[in-house]
Amino acid sequence: MQSRASDVYAVVGAGAAALALTWVMFGWLLPFNGVVGFVVVAYVLFLALYALLVSFDEDGPAIVDRIAAAVVRSMGLLLVAVLVFVVSYALFEGRKALVHLNFFTEDMQLAGPLEPLSVGGALHAAVGTLVQITLALLVTVPVGLVCAVFLSEVPGPFARFVRTIVEAMTALPSIVAGLFIYATVILGLGMDRSGLAAALALAVMMLPIIIRAADVVIRLVPGTLREAAYAMGTSRWRTVWHVVLPTCRSGLTTSVILGTGRGIGETSPVLLTAGFTSEMNLDPTSGPMVSLPLATFQYVKSPEPTMIARGFGTAALLMALVLALFVAARFFGGRGPGQLTRRQEHRRVLASRRDAERFAESHVAAPNPPSTPPRTTALDESRRPS
Amino acid sequence: MAVATGGGVDGDVPRRLYADPGLPDRVFRAVLRGGGALVLAVMLLVGGFLLYRAWLALDKAGWGFLSTAEWAPDAGKFGIAAVLVGTVLIASVAVCVAVPLATGAALYISEYAPPRLRQTLISVVDLMAAVPSVVYGLWGVFFLQDKVIPTARWIAAYLGWIPLFDVDGADPADPLAPASVYTSSTFIAGLVVGMMIAPIVCSIMREVFSQAPAGEREGAYALGATRWGMIRSVVLPFGKGGMIGGTMLGLGRALGETIAVYMIISLVFDIQWHVLQSGTSSVSSLIALRYGEASEFGMSALMAAGFALFLMTLVVNFAASSIVARSRSGAAS
Amino acid sequence: MRPATRFRVGATLSALLSLLCALLVADPPPARAATYAKITGSGSTWSSNAVFQWTRNIKANMGMTVNFTDNGSSQGREQFKRNVVDFAVSEIPYGLKEQGVADTPPRRGYAYMPIVAGGTSFMYNLKINGKKVTNLRLSGPVVAKIFTGKITRWNDAAVRHDNPGLNLPARQIIPVVRSDGSGTSAQFTTWMAKEQSGVWNDYCRRTGRGSGCGMTSNYPLLSGSSMVSKSGSLGVSGHVRQPSGEGAITYVEYSYAIKTGFPVAKMLNKKGYYVEPTASSVAVGLTGARINNDKNSPNYLTQILDGVYRNGDARTYPLSSYSYMILPTKEEEGFTKSKGNSLGTFGRYFLCDGQQQAEELGYSPLPKNLVQAGFAQVRRVPGAPTSAININKCRNPTFSSDGTNTLARNAPYPKACDKQGPTQCSDGTAGDKGKTPVKPGAQGGDGNGGGGGGAGPGGGGANGGGSGPGGGSGGSAGPDSDGDGTPDARESAGSGGGGTGGGGGGAVDPDTGLPISGDGTGSGDTSVAATPVSLASGGAFGLRGALMALSAFLLLAVVVGPPVMARVLAGRARRRGEIA
Repeated sequence: MQSRASDVYAVVGAGAAALALTWVMFGWLLPFNGVVGFVVVAYVLFLALYALLVSFDEDGPAIVDRIAAAVVRSMGLLLVAVLVFVVSYALFEGRKALVHLNFFTEDMQLAGPLEPLSVGGALHAAVGTLVQITLALLVTVPVGLVCAVFLSEVPGPFARFVRTIVEAMTALPSIVAGLFIYATVILGLGMDRSGLAAALALAVMMLPIIIRAADVVIRLVPGTLREAAYAMGTSRWRTVWHVVLPTCRSGLTTSVILGTGRGIGETSPVLLTAGFTSEMNLDPTSGPMVSLPLATFQYVKSPEPTMIARGFGTAALLMALVLALFVAARFFGGRGPGQLTRRQEHRRVLASRRDAERFAESHVAAPNPPSTPPRTTALDESRRPS
Repeated sequence: MAVATGGGVDGDVPRRLYADPGLPDRVFRAVLRGGGALVLAVMLLVGGFLLYRAWLALDKAGWGFLSTAEWAPDAGKFGIAAVLVGTVLIASVAVCVAVPLATGAALYISEYAPPRLRQTLISVVDLMAAVPSVVYGLWGVFFLQDKVIPTARWIAAYLGWIPLFDVDGADPADPLAPASVYTSSTFIAGLVVGMMIAPIVCSIMREVFSQAPAGEREGAYALGATRWGMIRSVVLPFGKGGMIGGTMLGLGRALGETIAVYMIISLVFDIQWHVLQSGTSSVSSLIALRYGEASEFGMSALMAAGFALFLMTLVVNFAASSIVARSRSGAAS
Repeated sequence: MRPATRFRVGATLSALLSLLCALLVADPPPARAATYAKITGSGSTWSSNAVFQWTRNIKANMGMTVNFTDNGSSQGREQFKRNVVDFAVSEIPYGLKEQGVADTPPRRGYAYMPIVAGGTSFMYNLKINGKKVTNLRLSGPVVAKIFTGKITRWNDAAVRHDNPGLNLPARQIIPVVRSDGSGTSAQFTTWMAKEQSGVWNDYCRRTGRGSGCGMTSNYPLLSGSSMVSKSGSLGVSGHVRQPSGEGAITYVEYSYAIKTGFPVAKMLNKKGYYVEPTASSVAVGLTGARINNDKNSPNYLTQILDGVYRNGDARTYPLSSYSYMILPTKEEEGFTKSKGNSLGTFGRYFLCDGQQQAEELGYSPLPKNLVQAGFAQVRRVPGAPTSAININKCRNPTFSSDGTNTLARNAPYPKACDKQGPTQCSDGTAGDKGKTPVKPGAQGGDGNGGGGGGAGPGGGGANGGGSGPGGGSGGSAGPDSDGDGTPDARESAGSGGGGTGGGGGGAVDPDTGLPISGDGTGSGDTSVAATPVSLASGGAFGLRGALMALSAFLLLAVVVGPPVMARVLAGRARRRGEIA
């Protein structure tokens, strides 16, 4: 819908009027002050004046429409602005720590709270996060995928029961998952507070989420594909392996990556199970291993401004990691079942061409009419990578 | 291969068909079943262990578990009255803050935003849903706490006659009233958690709104409705199930939020209805605070509290999924 | 996406990945000579500043990794009991009863070893006239009443009695206590239960803990009061130091006040002097401690502090105490001899060299008898080094040739103005050594004199509430950065501002009876005499408020009225035109 000049004038005029009125009232007339009060009164006045201006030209429903549009637009703007502010606040406060290269290459074993920002860094936390999430994924992804395939391939009361339990367990709060591992593995089995315990806590938390996401993706594969494969006489497992899983590969990748992003940012299971250290620990089975959110939580408790800057820098590093995962998810995934990338299509085309040649050769011996050249050639030419 | 086993000559017995799946398929199904059973076993183990330990504590506390406010498990006096009320209050404030914002933003993205901006906004909101909660906690502690004090003071001064907004120990006529009675309150924690769940609620609502059928939309326009009229008569009723589902999902997330709340609040073991006043509690903060110093029985008491939280979140999630499944938007997706 | 773009993206990603791997490889953890096994410990935040410094030193010197988590004494003791950690640090031993429940000792073999001494101090955040107060003094009963909610304002008569030199504001006191299980709370409540039992037992009753709760690690909270609870020493000190924490006071170890740059309250000792917990005054105080010397008792080397509370030396700080490390004495539950070697080396390090740093960190070094006993305890750890140590090489400030505690012997006596009475010193304490000017009547034998003492900041104090006509309205424009907040609903009319709002020169101020001069730095009174505040504009809801609302309404009417009237009239004219 094109906006006429008078619409623009109405908005601008109402905005200017509201601002000016509020300014006069707050500055000279009323006993209120404060930014929040100013903004609220200015907004209410803006809506009222905008309604008035619109009422000069339009009738009732149009006025309501315009006001609703203004309110919805401002809500959208407000939400996005606040969220972007939250993220940039952490980045801004951590800038002092992030400019030092040693922040990315050193750990904190020699750096006390009084040391300047040129000593010490968050490498141990970053490595700890990666180790813990890798271990958690090693446990979760195979089991989760098998279970998701189970839910869609072996229907029946048992599968329904498992599905109900999995959906129920997605409601498990992350701190309770951490408490469970603390009570069983650390207190019960006597294991150290270590990276492995943290990885187990993360796995307990992430498993239902990944199973449910994978289940949704696998269910989206059209039943016709499966039936076509059965019609050609394949067995169950071949269908799953060659048809179903490749079809939803991008969706599965996306759900795994998003689950990983969720697991990386969780502090509470790691808080209870991983302990705290200021040096790099590559051994997940012994000794505390700190992760990025845990390090952030610990550093900002200190009164020293350098430690607080380090804490914000660690948070910024964590957000960068989550952003990288998110971008990777968009890059690898986002395609529906059955849609291929250019390279996958090209490979399919080459494979078809090879098959066609093979058929042609096998038909040379038999007294059959010579096979026509494969029809994919023209398509092939047009789809050659440019 | 199907093998027909027919009946005899005299009677017609319906022949039973069975397919011999062959060894690979049998192994495959066994592996799948094993995977499913393993997952089931793990989850039942977690749930069962929790229930067992919780039962040990609940057995001792009886119904007083729901009515006692203080937390001294070794002395025999412990209950989740205070922490449960605090958790629900924080989650309620969060939902009250997040739902209007998220609805407005979702409507904006799906109805009003120009197409190029739409994709960017969708990505931005989805990305915000992935931001870790400790970042929101940092923002809350270092930025929001000081900035919200004047607003809290104003609300307490002018709306203090509503019991919810009253603040003990802060006399509006007292010029030297301490500012710190407004810090570490339910209101601030609720604001932060609300900002945390808003992107999640927004993306669910946005997906639901964008699935409103185009035919009905065009029908509304054809009958002369304005854009808002169309939204009100087509999109919102269609998306009602998704809205409620998204809200309840956000509520579930807010109930379980630990680290942001722990960084902000000052824990008291008292049922505190004043949302603007310093001092509140939540189940997850209780667990995070007391897990290390809990004796064997104390650990059981904490698990009982965790189990209560789990039950609450479970009920909310199931209610959400059943409402969504029954609604038009859920059935379509 | 075009293949070229994809290739670039993929190449970038793999380059980043390889860079990360290169960073990991290029900067491997330094492989020091002796490979010490890693040990983990947890516990007290009271002594954690010292413990963290020692872990960093030993990492730098010997490459040993000691992972200490400061999560509170209760967690430390509990985790040691459950074999989660190798050693624990705690202020109180096992076996004590809290709220009727005894803290059972662990099944594994253990021993106590004192690590450092220090004072539990009262860190506060208070401003007069925008300037931070640094010389507050409190006596025992006043402290007890503050932390039990009996005294709620800073200008209470009892607090003013302890501080004759300060013009305390009518600000609310916010006691900040520990929410986690804390050894500091345990020390403080032990003192309360022993020395202020009347007040404490009454408090226990009011908070629902029965009559007489004795020592507790979980400080009871009084509902409906302004008491705030935070987790950890960092949490309580962090709450006090933030700008909105004005009026807050907490109990925390002395080093936290030093680290955050905030003052502590001087505490009244039995001899009648107000003292702050420096290393010397703590050393003097602890000469009155009774140490359990029975080698066969499981509580060998633990402390009874009754003599410290009532120590009659003028230089003593009443709330001094030791902190302990709980050592394993048997090779069991995952504790190996190599871990014992590490723990033993660590213990020998901080008992000897580490004590030199105690004073600068805000603690007090251990006396010779405890150092020797400590070395003997360390030998009980399986795998610990057993070579002899020349204790005289330790350069510990308390050591002397004749066996007395040098630090205690040479402790400076408090100034005369620190004696309980009408005089008050203006020196700062702990982390803020800036002087706070006191009223001339209280300056007494301070040696710093009247005008001179408060010259710089005191004169600057005049820009707010000192003198002159600008005194009153200085409330909003002046140094109101003290965080008492300019509330939204208040007008900065500043009508309640200052006390000495007189005119210029030579006159005698009717309020205080003191002569004032135009610029406020004249004879005598350079003390802070007023606290500027922003008040509500009197009757905001009276006539004035009505007039304000009317004026706002008129403004809106002027803006909105004419176009609306024009439309209404035009519409009426049109309709008349259509009908006619």
